[in-house]
Amino acid sequence: MITALDFMLAPLIASLLLIVITVYFGIHVIEREIIFIDIALAQIAALGSCVSLVINNLNISPHDQIHEHDSRTMMAYLFCLLAAGVFSLLKDKQMKIPLEAIIGIAYAVATTSAVIILDKGAGSDVHIHDMLAGTMLWVSWHQTFRLLLMVILIGGFHYIFRKKFKALTLLYQDQETNINHPKLWDFLFYFTFGIVIVEAVNIGGILTIFAFLIIPASISAFFAIRWTARILIGLLVGGVSTILGLYLSWVMDVPCSPTIVLFLGLCLLVSVSIKALMKYKTNHQ
Amino acid sequence: MSENLLFLSAPITASILLAAILSYFGNHILSRGIIFIDIAVAQIAALGTMIGLLLGFAEESVNVQLISYLFTLIIISVFALTKFRKQIIPQEAIIGIIYCIALGLAMLLAEKIPGGSNFISKTITGNILWVTWEKVLNCFILFVIIGVIHLFFRKQFIQISDTKNGMPYSPGKTRVYELLFYISFSVVIVKSVPVGGVFLVFTLLIAPSVAATLFTQNWMKRFLWSWIIGVLGSVIGMYISYTLNISNGPAIVTLLGTVVFLLAFGKLAARKFITIRTKKE
Repeated sequence: MITALDFMLAPLIASLLLIVITVYFGIHVIEREIIFIDIALAQIAALGSCVSLVINNLNISPHDQIHEHDSRTMMAYLFCLLAAGVFSLLKDKQMKIPLEAIIGIAYAVATTSAVIILDKGAGSDVHIHDMLAGTMLWVSWHQTFRLLLMVILIGGFHYIFRKKFKALTLLYQDQETNINHPKLWDFLFYFTFGIVIVEAVNIGGILTIFAFLIIPASISAFFAIRWTARILIGLLVGGVSTILGLYLSWVMDVPCSPTIVLFLGLCLLVSVSIKALMKYKTNHQ
Repeated sequence: MSENLLFLSAPITASILLAAILSYFGNHILSRGIIFIDIAVAQIAALGTMIGLLLGFAEESVNVQLISYLFTLIIISVFALTKFRKQIIPQEAIIGIIYCIALGLAMLLAEKIPGGSNFISKTITGNILWVTWEKVLNCFILFVIIGVIHLFFRKQFIQISDTKNGMPYSPGKTRVYELLFYISFSVVIVKSVPVGGVFLVFTLLIAPSVAATLFTQNWMKRFLWSWIIGVLGSVIGMYISYTLNISNGPAIVTLLGTVVFLLAFGKLAARKFITIRTKKE
């Protein structure tokens, strides 16, 4: 048991950190109806690292591995910056189309251009599988520390300007808000979100992060309206599912991210039934 | 050249067929705001196939296909019928949750089937280049049947797509129309994803109708323009992929996607220009 704890401590802390930041962003995502944004941003970042790979290959001059890794990360962030710009510019009432459609097209184009660039890349099966599932169990202390730093920085930024970001999300529901420079704040929202997604997907994989974003925020919508309450409910649900999922995946030797996702799904089922029961009771009183 | 044309004639016909039916459906999908539904449906179908394989049927046997269809239709019917309750979370979120749980289940099952992870990535690529005439004819007949159903109920479907809250008809009737819409849609998706791959299907669904909706809100005009854009996009994309020697699906996707972004930014720039000019006067 002690060795298990030793081995699982870093993944556990990392996934709890991930929960903290994704639950908060998840409420924004649900309220704005931009559900699939994290898959799109992850794919755009991946396209960025593909481009940097190609540029590095064209460059004949010798370079060390660390440098290459740095330039790939830089390029991934650069592409996120670009995407943030595009999304905040094209979010416009006059466009008559939901932003989700733009996000979807960006996702499709990013994925297929990566395929074209890598020229039907050998072993793409494995790559796709890794990107979906992530490698949460193999997270190192170094990565965990990096994640903590990011959660503090971006979480702090969003906490300080929480009023602005909340107002911005109301703007998406066609409500009137008086906010100066909405496009600039929108851009900042998407950019910080992009950074979170790139770091988070590297550790947790697309599937887990997607579930972390959507499911706790959906569950909390059943029971609360206030943001603080929703975040607390999300943290509770996410934390319990993660701990159970990691434990079960250790005991039963199954991959951890699908297990966590299924636990989250189970929580959703339970809360839907609780909600239905509550409704039934109030109707019959 | 003529030999190449002969070789490419089946894929080109297939892509025109796909463009024709998908860009029609795309307008409904866009108006309803359920953009990612086709990816979710494709994932459910893949999960159904895996369940069929686990039950011991051979790959590509009739039984597996039947189980896959049945599974997809059950899930999509539940989705269609639960829609009209008061919405706490957006429908797109429900689609996201369905997708993510189906994918999670598929990944767990993949461990139990030899070569199982192939089924997860197989749906992603697809290969329209190797489509046979038999398959094209098959698709054609199916699409014509579904097209006729939609021609018959066009008013009702448009009415439902336009209604954001509540039901335009009596509850029973609306549910029947909804069921009909979603079942015909998922049959089209399950049929076309193995031919074109998820991304080609997704792009043909969304991109032409987004391009059309940017400029007109009239349903008939939207249908017409998305047909023109979809069919032209696939033919030109095929030509580009042939001349530049890149895969067909990605070529069409990238072309149509880029066109949409250019059009959207064009509209944005044009509007900015007009507002600046009116301010000056």
